[in-house]
Amino acid sequence: MITITVNGKEIQIDKPMTVLEAAKKAGIKIPTLCHHELLESYGGCRLCVVEVERMPKLQNACTLLAADGMVIRTESEVISKVRSEMLELLLINHPLDCAYCDKAGECELQDLVNKYGPTVGRYKEEKRKVPESHTDPIFARHMGRCVVCTRCVRMCDTVQGASAISMIERGGRTRMEPFSSTSFNCEYCGNCLTVCPVGAILSRLYIHSYRPWQVDKEIKTICPYCGVGCSLFVQVRDNSIKRVIPKIGQGLNNGLLCSRGRFGYEFIESQERLKSPLVKEKGKFKQSTWNEAFHFVAGRLMEIRELHGGKAIAGIASPRCTNEDNYVFQKFMRMACRTNNIDSISRIGFAAAQKYIEDLLGQGVTSNIIDGLKNSDAILVIGGDPTAVNPILGLAIRAAARNGANVIVVGNAKGLVPIIRDKTLRIIHPVFREADVLELLLTNIFKTQDVRAEKPAIDKRIKELSEKPVKMDIKEMEKLVKILLGSNSISIVAGMELVQRVDGHRSLFAIAALTYLLEARLFLLSEKPNEQGLIDMGCLPDMLPGGRPINVGDFKHKFEAAWKESIPQDKGITLMEMIGAIRNKDIKALYIMGENPVFNLPNGHYIREALESLDFLVVQDIFLTETAELADVVLPALGWAEKDGTYTNLERRVQLLKRAIDSSSGIEDWKIISEISSIMGYEMDYSSAEKIMEEIAKVSPLYRDLTYKEIGAGDCLWPYHGEPLRGELNEVPVAVDITQDYKADFYLAIEKPLFHSGTLSRRASALRKICPEPTLKISPQHAGKLKLKEGDRVNISTAQGTISVPVSIDASITDNRVLLSNNFENKGVFNLLNFSLDKVTKAPGIEGCEVKIERK
Amino acid sequence: MFNETVLKEIDEIKGRYPDFRSALLPALYVAQREFGWLSHEAMSYVARTLNLPEAMVRGTASFYSMFKHKEAGRHLIQLCTNVSCMILGAERLVDFLRTKYGMEPDNTTQDGRFSLVIMECIGACGTAPAMLVNTDFYDNLTEGKIEEILDKYK
Ligand code: SF4
Ligand code: SF4
Ligand code: SF4
Ligand code: FES
Ligand code: FES
Repeated sequence: MITITVNGKEIQIDKPMTVLEAAKKAGIKIPTLCHHELLESYGGCRLCVVEVERMPKLQNACTLLAADGMVIRTESEVISKVRSEMLELLLINHPLDCAYCDKAGECELQDLVNKYGPTVGRYKEEKRKVPESHTDPIFARHMGRCVVCTRCVRMCDTVQGASAISMIERGGRTRMEPFSSTSFNCEYCGNCLTVCPVGAILSRLYIHSYRPWQVDKEIKTICPYCGVGCSLFVQVRDNSIKRVIPKIGQGLNNGLLCSRGRFGYEFIESQERLKSPLVKEKGKFKQSTWNEAFHFVAGRLMEIRELHGGKAIAGIASPRCTNEDNYVFQKFMRMACRTNNIDSISRIGFAAAQKYIEDLLGQGVTSNIIDGLKNSDAILVIGGDPTAVNPILGLAIRAAARNGANVIVVGNAKGLVPIIRDKTLRIIHPVFREADVLELLLTNIFKTQDVRAEKPAIDKRIKELSEKPVKMDIKEMEKLVKILLGSNSISIVAGMELVQRVDGHRSLFAIAALTYLLEARLFLLSEKPNEQGLIDMGCLPDMLPGGRPINVGDFKHKFEAAWKESIPQDKGITLMEMIGAIRNKDIKALYIMGENPVFNLPNGHYIREALESLDFLVVQDIFLTETAELADVVLPALGWAEKDGTYTNLERRVQLLKRAIDSSSGIEDWKIISEISSIMGYEMDYSSAEKIMEEIAKVSPLYRDLTYKEIGAGDCLWPYHGEPLRGELNEVPVAVDITQDYKADFYLAIEKPLFHSGTLSRRASALRKICPEPTLKISPQHAGKLKLKEGDRVNISTAQGTISVPVSIDASITDNRVLLSNNFENKGVFNLLNFSLDKVTKAPGIEGCEVKIERK
Repeated sequence: MFNETVLKEIDEIKGRYPDFRSALLPALYVAQREFGWLSHEAMSYVARTLNLPEAMVRGTASFYSMFKHKEAGRHLIQLCTNVSCMILGAERLVDFLRTKYGMEPDNTTQDGRFSLVIMECIGACGTAPAMLVNTDFYDNLTEGKIEEILDKYK
């Protein structure tokens, strides 16, 4: 125990910390400028000087470690004088153009000068002049204002790990610049913007549009983009979002955001938002009133239900909608439409993986805290780039690497390439052969130890696998095994590329078995904000809320008692099966809430044809998407910032979504559904999202007793008060292996870009400025062979069709893969790909990706 | 990009230090020798060769005034005008370079032959005024002597 005295107050601390931190603990504020909580101490500005008894000179509180017996004063005449002089020096060059600076009102320099600064400066030299730079799509740089605290550079280097900016030149001319000196060309997280104490880095999204004291309200909510679920503060003026900021100590992102979260909010106020219900008459949409639309939809659904039975109806739920929306959705499908045909786009990734792995290992195996990744000794990343899919989780991996962890990357995780110190820890495998790599790793680990004998089905399967002939040789394998076995704390981060294979379940089994053998923590990357919630709410054909299997009578009866109606007997069918059933005319009506399958599923033509053949299609969305265009009725919903509710993130943390702005056109998804359900004879009269959660907390064994109050306080971490189910499979389901080696010149793979998500992000103008159009990513070697330069236009063709895009040369690709994203209008990679089902997970395994590339 | 011999040279430099970052200054020096100055492109090459972030390379390079960030002439003249040299007439020599050769401090002559940089003390106060032409050192300068020297640099 160390005791120090600060301003006469005794402070006891139990671990080493700086005087600044110790004083803060005791509520004593010492002024700082170059120091920032998220960064390591720097000691550059000397505003934090304090007097320490028996030390001859003033000391920097931010770098001085508290030692037992220190007696410290944080304010005195001498200290004030020094601070004033330090500020006077900073002001030699600072333009003092507060009247015109966006930062005024929340500027640390302004506040400091206000408190300690001189009223008049003694230096008469001309101030340096650095022209403003407005050449970047997002950031405006006013480097005349830079006080050279280097916070931005340290943020970008040590926390973001992007190292895109640096301090250039020296002396009075020192300032921050990105490498190109014009555009940042970086990850656009904006975390440098957060830490700049002055108005040197500004966001062009709101420049000169308001003052910090002019916000009408600031609402804490959750990011609409990915499954990390960062906390955002939305600042609103005149019912319009002015900016989105993170806050230290708030949410799991603790002061950090990624580009989508910070700059992607503009879609919500897009001019393209749907304004009223649309009903198709003779192939053309006509505006209708809500009441007409409700009755029309209910009427048609009832007709089909009476004529063909509930089995002829299916529903697609949405990982972008809240738990409340999804809960009401599945209840509506089961109770009013009389069907268990409920699934979502998450079937092609997270939901398939999550369910398969939980069936094996029990509920909660994937519910691990993201922050804990930082403490891993070894991290195995496979099947996606965490720094693009789940950027804030990606930062935790980068932090672990900085702390000395061995990061092993299988596949093409571009954002992790710079942190892999040992190049042999990056394994590039032949196309579609992830399962072989993982099984090889698994059996090699298994050789060194005995079965754990806790899960006989898994043990048995591992043994079987290790008796199979080895199909792949990886020369680094011995090293990988050694690293993994030598690590105490192992994390596995699995991306959803793994699932999109015909033998995806093999990879999933290997991941599950590795998690089990190595006692690792498992993280599944999740592209959408509420994929876990969707599963927990029972938007699956075979699961009720709380992950309770539908065929277990006990569970079923409890729900039937609560819902006062029987649950349809048979399990429903999964997403891709639905598409097949629609084509076979077994399903006549489809209800889609907040999803765009025509664009977001492989083989768009095939999906489109199916949906066109439906008797009745309802789409509830905020935009007229490719799918909504095919609908008989389109119902405008409320978007992310316009409604209350909860999301459950990939760690299974339940978090509150709060309304920040009002919309005049849409209605909450749950409300639309309740209205229709009531007309169809199954009464739903929820008055608010909170009331729905009250019901969920009663009926779901997982979310038992959760309240908005508790969720809002940030305490709703797995396993809450709920009752998780143990894994209960007696037999590990297996199907085919693919052994075929692909021999084409090029393979098309799916790019998951950092800046886009699809339907939402393409309407977010800032993200559109950062990344305006899709490009075909190709390795430098292959670009060279085809004589392609950056920006050359090419036609990429598969059996499904042709798309024309510019090429972009990407040095992180080292084989004959070419990458294209699935985000932009008419240019989605899914349109070029085909699929066949993984028989176990029912996820679509991507096929048909041999491509031809021709210069245009 | 660098040619094979230069890459070998940089590899050898890398071998001298425990991490690549330490090899940055000598590698930049090699780049400047090869390209005459440190363009963005040249700094990019250095970054790639040493596996360092481009921004860091530029930050470091821009700190040192002996790295050139503008395209320079074939020969670089670095003339000292600090106290000793100034007392012994360095300012007159600057005027001489200006009128006779059309040189301006921090600029390159039209024909691309010379670039002129005014230096702080280069440590030759005892034999001031002094200058460097490329890496060659000259002292006890007079106008006549300068003419004679520069004749050697075409
Ligand atoms: S936006 Fe992010 S990546 Fe770009 S310079 Fe700032 S901190 Fe670095
Ligand atoms: S730009 Fe801002 S954060 Fe960066 S060094 Fe200058 S004042 Fe500090
Ligand atoms: S990491 Fe995910 S949740 Fe966080 S800001 Fe980015 S997109 Fe949003
Ligand atoms: S805050 Fe301590 S020196 Fe800047
Ligand atoms: S003053 Fe010119 S060399 Fe020292």
